[in-house]
Amino acid sequence: MKDETMRIEFTCNGKLTSVEARLDMRALDLLRDLLGLTGTKEGCGRGECGACTILLDDEPVNACLLYAAKLQGRRVQTIEGVAGADGSLDAVQEAFLEEGAVQCGYCTPGMVLSARALLRKNPKPDVPAIEEALSGNFCRCTGYGKIVRAVQSAAGAAQRAEGAVQRAEGAVQRAEGAVQRAAGKASS
Amino acid sequence: MEYRVATTVEEALEALGGRDGSRPVAGGTDLAVVLADGLGAVPPLLVDVAGIPALQGVRRTADGIAIGPATTIAEIATRSDLPACLCQGARAIGSPQIRNLATIGGNVCNASPCGDTLSPLVALEAAFVLASRSGTRTVPAELFFVGPKKTVLGPGELLVEIRIASARLAGRSAFRMIGKRNGQAISQVNAAVWLALEGGVIREARVAVGSVAPVPLRLKGAEALLVGKTVRGLDVEPVLARAAAEIAPISDVRASLEYRRLVTGSLLRDALLEAAGI
Repeated sequence: MKDETMRIEFTCNGKLTSVEARLDMRALDLLRDLLGLTGTKEGCGRGECGACTILLDDEPVNACLLYAAKLQGRRVQTIEGVAGADGSLDAVQEAFLEEGAVQCGYCTPGMVLSARALLRKNPKPDVPAIEEALSGNFCRCTGYGKIVRAVQSAAGAAQRAEGAVQRAEGAVQRAEGAVQRAAGKASS
Repeated sequence: MEYRVATTVEEALEALGGRDGSRPVAGGTDLAVVLADGLGAVPPLLVDVAGIPALQGVRRTADGIAIGPATTIAEIATRSDLPACLCQGARAIGSPQIRNLATIGGNVCNASPCGDTLSPLVALEAAFVLASRSGTRTVPAELFFVGPKKTVLGPGELLVEIRIASARLAGRSAFRMIGKRNGQAISQVNAAVWLALEGGVIREARVAVGSVAPVPLRLKGAEALLVGKTVRGLDVEPVLARAAAEIAPISDVRASLEYRRLVTGSLLRDALLEAAGI
C-alpha cells in the first residue's frame, strides 16, 4: 500500500483538475511538482510563515500543512489564478506594485491571497483588520507598512470603482426618467 | 503510511480499530508538523475524519449544545451561540490559515497544555463523547487530560462530540492568554473564567488555567472564594493569591516558572473583570 496513489479531482484556478497523487502528499508539493504551479512558495514548511498560502474554498490555508487528500472536490486558488486570462493584474496586485509593497517577493503570493480573502469578506477593512488578516504571512523585507497600505489602497480602489458604477447607474436612471417624461409629453 | 479518508463515523471507527497504531487526523496542522520534523512515530494508518458530516458543526440539544469535533477553529471563533471564553480561546490559536484548517477536536485530542480551547472547555465543564468499535463513553473535560499530550483516549477511540450543558451557556465567561507577540503566538499561560451572576452576586464560578501544570487545571480554591461575592467592588486579590498557590508551573522554552506564576494572576484578573462585567 506504501506508494499507492489515487486520483484527486478539484477545481484549480477555475479549471477542473485531475491528478494522480499520494493522499498523504502535501498540497504544496502537488501544486508545485505535479501541476507546475510554482507561484506557491515554501518558506518554513511548518505552517508559520504563510509563503505557501492558497485559498481553499475562498479561505486562506497553509498548503505545506494540507494533505493532498483534502483537495478532493474542493476549489483552490493559487497566485496563478489571480490575474485575468489576458494577464491584467487584479486590484490587490496593482496596489502592491503601486505602493512598492514587494522587495524580494517571496512572501508576495501568500500576502496577495490573504489580502484578497480579507477584501472578499470585508471590503472596507481598518488597519487592525488588515494586520489580523495578514498575521499568518511573514515578510522579512518590507516591515509590513507598505503591504498594509497596499491593501488599504486596493480596498479604496475597489470602493472608487463601486462608486463609479453607482454613479453611472444613477445617470442611466436619470436619463431613462427624462426619456419617459419626454415620451409622456410627446403623447399628451 | 497509508492515508484513508473516512466519510462516516462507523467507517472511521472500523479503520481505527482495525490496525494497531493507526490514528485519526482532522485539520492536520499539528500532526503534519510533528511528522515533518520526525518528532513522533509515523502511524501505519492515518484516518482523515475532517470531512465526516456527523462530526461537523454546532447544534442545540435538549440539555445544551453539541459541538462536532471536526468543526474548524475559525468557525468556533466566530459563533455567537457559544460561550465567549471558548470563542476567545479559538481566536487566540495560530493564524487565519491555521484556524481555517485546525479543528476543536484536534486541539482537544492533541492535549498540549497550552491548547487555547482546553482551559475554556474545562471551565465550562464540557463533556467529551468517545466512541470506538466496542461502544461509547462520556468523559468530563477535567478527567480527559492526563499529562502533556496525553489523554484517556484508548486505541481505536475517537472523540465524536463535545457537549456543553445549558447552565454553562447561561452564564458569562472570558478568556485571556499571553504569548510572546500578538499574532500566531503559543500561549505561555492562558486562563478561562465562567460566572453565574444573580442580582450582582456571583452564584457559581469556574476558573481554569492552561500551561501552568501538566494538564489544564480547575482552580477550585479560587472558585470557592468567588461564590457569594458581590460583583460591585469585588476584591480579586485574595482570589489571585489563592490561584497562585493552586498552580504548578514549570520553566520551559516558552516561559520561566516565575513569569508564569506572575502573569497567571494578571490574566485571571482581566478575565474575571470581563466575565463579571466590571
